[in-house]
Amino acid sequence: MSNWEILWSSRDVFLDGFYNTLQLFGISAVLAFLLGAALVFLLEGSRPRLRIPLRIFIDGMRMLPFLILAYLLYYGLPSAGIRMSAWYAGLTALVLYHGAYFAEILRGCRTTFAQGQVEAAIAQGFSLPGMFLRIILPQLILKTRGLMGNQLIILLKDTAFLVIITVRELTAAANSLSSTYFIPMEAFIVVIGFYWLISIGLEQFIKLIGRYGAKRGFENA
Amino acid sequence: MDSSAWGLLAYGAWTTAWISGISIAIGVILGLFVALLRVARIPVVHQVLGTYISLARATPLVTLVLFIFLTAPTMGLDINRNVAGIIALTLNTTAFNAEIWRSAFNNFSNEQREAALAIGMTPWVYFRRIMLPQITITSLPGLVNEMSFLIKGSPAVAVIGVVDLARVTNRISAVTYEPLPPILAAAAMYMVLISLLVWLQRLAERKANRLAV
Amino acid sequence: MPETAAVSIRKLSKSFDGTEVLRDVSLEVKPGEVVSILGSSGSGKSTLLRCINWLEQPDRGDIHIDGDRIGVSDSGKAMSRRELASMRARLGMVFQGFNLWPHLSVVRNVTEAPIHVLGLSKAQAEERAMALLEKVGMVEKRDDYPYTLSGGQKQRVAIARALAMQPKVMLFDEPTSALDPELVGEVLGVIKDLSKEGYTMVLVTHEMEFARAVSDQVVFLDKGIIIEKSHPSEFFVNPKTDRVRRFLELEAPVV
Repeated sequence: MSNWEILWSSRDVFLDGFYNTLQLFGISAVLAFLLGAALVFLLEGSRPRLRIPLRIFIDGMRMLPFLILAYLLYYGLPSAGIRMSAWYAGLTALVLYHGAYFAEILRGCRTTFAQGQVEAAIAQGFSLPGMFLRIILPQLILKTRGLMGNQLIILLKDTAFLVIITVRELTAAANSLSSTYFIPMEAFIVVIGFYWLISIGLEQFIKLIGRYGAKRGFENA
Repeated sequence: MDSSAWGLLAYGAWTTAWISGISIAIGVILGLFVALLRVARIPVVHQVLGTYISLARATPLVTLVLFIFLTAPTMGLDINRNVAGIIALTLNTTAFNAEIWRSAFNNFSNEQREAALAIGMTPWVYFRRIMLPQITITSLPGLVNEMSFLIKGSPAVAVIGVVDLARVTNRISAVTYEPLPPILAAAAMYMVLISLLVWLQRLAERKANRLAV
Repeated sequence: MPETAAVSIRKLSKSFDGTEVLRDVSLEVKPGEVVSILGSSGSGKSTLLRCINWLEQPDRGDIHIDGDRIGVSDSGKAMSRRELASMRARLGMVFQGFNLWPHLSVVRNVTEAPIHVLGLSKAQAEERAMALLEKVGMVEKRDDYPYTLSGGQKQRVAIARALAMQPKVMLFDEPTSALDPELVGEVLGVIKDLSKEGYTMVLVTHEMEFARAVSDQVVFLDKGIIIEKSHPSEFFVNPKTDRVRRFLELEAPVV
């Protein structure tokens, strides 16, 4: 059997890993985005006392390697009495970490808005959450889509760190196949191909949003 | 944590520092060359480098580190863990740096070139004395930003057993059975390192803004 | 023996994407002469100036600087970069947009080419630069960076930078068009001083009064063709063509 045939016969291992990576990526992308949006909403200023701890959280995450956060949740928290499986620890780490990055991207863009829009919305009787959800957030998404897309690709790549805390994702699949059959080259080429495919898919998706945005005069990609 | 734990931590920090440092130094220079080749638009070379950049940006560092460490022996190359780690980090950061350099080249004003040619500079003197110094200043904020991304990604080398600042926390807790303190200490050390780079990036931005006249 | 022209342009033609911007343009500039090129925008006057130092390459015709042909070497082939650079070093050019190098201080903008093109020592170049900065009134700003200067100051530094190469001919491409009105005077003043010192100059400008005051010869370009070439006393008072008369009525209502 050629090396490629060996790989084909163990395609289930790849597909499992691929599925696991996609699942981790999909769930954490959605949750991290929601967390980021929520953080920016809280920073809007209804509760000034929250602002400092939120900023510390956001800046703290941005100065930390992702793996250290994963270590903290998986190895560190049990000694504080909180125990999670590797998968949940990994997911939580992805959400917290990238939630902070999303928040920073949105916040940076939010500061460039004219105050007039908010006043117009409030004058029309929008509540603060309603205004944020219907007026601010859609614009933020259109304007920051390029940065958000980059961040999504970083998120995708960070899922691979979870192999170190024993999550069975895509890179783990390549690793185990290559050590079982001693065919690292082929195994990793397949896996890198998978990552490449998802990244290209993400870039296309962002371009699609861009076309939607361009129709409405949001030109800054 | 006792003094031997702190000693290990310092050792891990040193490993992170030198492995990242070497990768950054090579990556910045190599990125400049890749960008120059891309700007020159030499057929085939242009497409090959474009594919490399696209691939390198999509490949997780952990995956790249494993790939290089595991496949090198099958190609008859005998490389140790540290070298494999440095190659992977360098391949990764070079791709990002190349894009930073390239955008600086593309945004460089043609008027400056005309002023240099009109005064009698050869293209080489113009590149060395006028273009490169300015490109360096305008690229610096992006390059420093990429440096902090590299350091945040450097724990990927832990996957092949390099004992860096991240992995050393496992070593310590294997003895002390208290994982939290070394992880928190390592986190603090990373934060100091990254905030130093963030500060440098701000300085670089201030300098770069002066050129935008 | 006849005097060699500082600039001699013969039957120059140039097209961009099929549109002819210069057609059979011929012009002689004698040493010490000041020639103003006038014309409405799109008449090809900036292109003509830029051809003189080969920033644009003409399709046909030739240009000699002080008797030496630019752009084409004796063997008939295109000049090497090095040959071209040494030809250009004999021409000083001042741009509409100043084009100072923002990473260098004022004095280093002026010394850069003398050091790295002419091979002067740093001390020699600085001595030369200081004398020129004195001439353009920018000595106090010697260590400042371009971003701190006003447009008029930038242009005066740019003039000093060009002069530092001790060029045979100075080329000015609309040197005051990018300036606020109140800053135009200081730059024109410097150029006027140069004309009194006997510099050979070719300038493209919209400042009619100024062209009238400094020029020995005025050239009017229309759609890539020279339709008038005369002394300013003649040109501004007694234009030969309707085209120029209309132009002067619009641009210089004073006369």
